[in-house]
Amino acid sequence: MKMEEVSMSSLDNSKLEGLAQDILSDLVEDACLGLCFEVHRAVKQGYFFLDDTDQESMRDFEIVDQPGLDVFGQVYNQWKNKECVCPNCSRSIAASRFAPHLEKCLGMGRNSSRIANRRIVTGNNTNNKSESDQEDNDDVNDNDWSYGAEKKAKKRKSDKNPNSPRRSKSFKHKNSMMGPRRRMDNQESPRMLMKDEAFPQ
Amino acid sequence: MSKESRMRATVNQKLTEMGERERLKELLRAKLTECGWKDQMKAHCKEVIKEKGLDHVTVEDLVVEITPKGRALVPDSVKKELLHRIRAFLAQHAT
Repeated sequence: MKMEEVSMSSLDNSKLEGLAQDILSDLVEDACLGLCFEVHRAVKQGYFFLDDTDQESMRDFEIVDQPGLDVFGQVYNQWKNKECVCPNCSRSIAASRFAPHLEKCLGMGRNSSRIANRRIVTGNNTNNKSESDQEDNDDVNDNDWSYGAEKKAKKRKSDKNPNSPRRSKSFKHKNSMMGPRRRMDNQESPRMLMKDEAFPQ
Repeated sequence: MSKESRMRATVNQKLTEMGERERLKELLRAKLTECGWKDQMKAHCKEVIKEKGLDHVTVEDLVVEITPKGRALVPDSVKKELLHRIRAFLAQHAT
């Protein structure tokens, strides 16, 4: 038995290789036939030539392959150095900074509500008048450019990044609530009062 | 020789039963599309059809024209990859 196996093994290898080639051959033929059937059906059903149009149109829409252009032939880094005028504060902002600036400037978006909430907390703690009318002063809303708020934030939370959207720790622990929430409307839900707060009338 | 043909029959049966044949077919199709073989062959089909006439072309016409060219145009890398998988299967299930 053993001797048979030994002599068979070398034969086996070439046979196995032959078998593998045959299997591959079958698979390739299968793929070819599949394609033929697909094409034939498309021809008979009338949708084979659908993506061809006249030569001229095909030339018009050919893929563009030049440096500095995308496949449609448009210049794609045209707006890198442009500046946009903000409709809210009428300042000239760089294009790549425009969207975040608008978010803060208009007071919409996730970050701006967090910053506003944080400012309310810090505003309450110090009872500072300059912080109180924030709605009119767009500069305070804009995190990109407001030295007043940043100074205060930096003083009190020197170990934190004042520009990060995270809530202040004291805030979280006192109320143990998660998620952004507008705190301007005190009537909405019951909450623990902070040290200096009086009960709202 | 019948031992060999029995072995072949067994292997082929296993290949089908275990779903490996289908997987290999799909793999081959995907690879051929990826490397542009399918588009090449379709372009060739267009020529054949224009030659024979849209209304009169038969499956046989296409098969006769396409299959030899199709076999020849399969890229070596694709062949290698599939052979690799087939050999692995055989090593596992043919001995």
